[in-house]
Amino acid sequence: MDSITAAASVVAAGLAVGLGAIGPGIGQGSAAQGAVEGIARQPEAEGKIRGTLLLSFAFMESLTIYGLVVALVLLFANPFAG
Amino acid sequence: MASETVENCSRHDPLLDFDSSDSSSGVKSDEYIELQFRVFRLAFLLTIFSVGIAGFFWGIQAGASLFIGALSGIFYFRLLARGIGRLGTSSKIVGKVQLLVPVLLVLVSSRFPQLDLIPALLGFLLYKPALIIQFLSMP
Repeated sequence: MDSITAAASVVAAGLAVGLGAIGPGIGQGSAAQGAVEGIARQPEAEGKIRGTLLLSFAFMESLTIYGLVVALVLLFANPFAG
Repeated sequence: MASETVENCSRHDPLLDFDSSDSSSGVKSDEYIELQFRVFRLAFLLTIFSVGIAGFFWGIQAGASLFIGALSGIFYFRLLARGIGRLGTSSKIVGKVQLLVPVLLVLVSSRFPQLDLIPALLGFLLYKPALIIQFLSMP
């Protein structure tokens, strides 16, 4: 791998993780806030709220995982390495 | 009398509480645990089905990679469920430890030539169809 490709891959990996984590981070924070408020207001609905939170967290966090996987592939299994 | 005392202790002492899988977090919600088990069951069924198909059409190596990816996906989901189970009781945030699982999966599959990266990643994402099916079947 030449040095320009290596440098571009490292920069792209950092951008993929960093930018990819902003949106899910904000979303997860507000979802967790709403869930904890809901549990405090209605403790009898705790199971349902936690279940819905689990499903929504799994979908939100997959966006972070996509960025992470792209970054790791660029770093450890780079298809442009030639 | 003695058995009643032991029963009372096991009911109130979180260290002796074997009823809940999340006893350390203090979560006693049966509904939440049931949801987790339903998703795990669905994910295992999907894993068996897709590993069979991948092994039949693309060979044992693809099937093994898919199987390892699917197992790590289920483990990731278990860690995520544990983090959410602790939210509000013993922790104020949902931990990010579960994100280490895909990192390790990619590292392992890029280091070992016996594993393919793409089937492993597809296997890791097999928990998602299980979640979608579960989400659609929720009342």
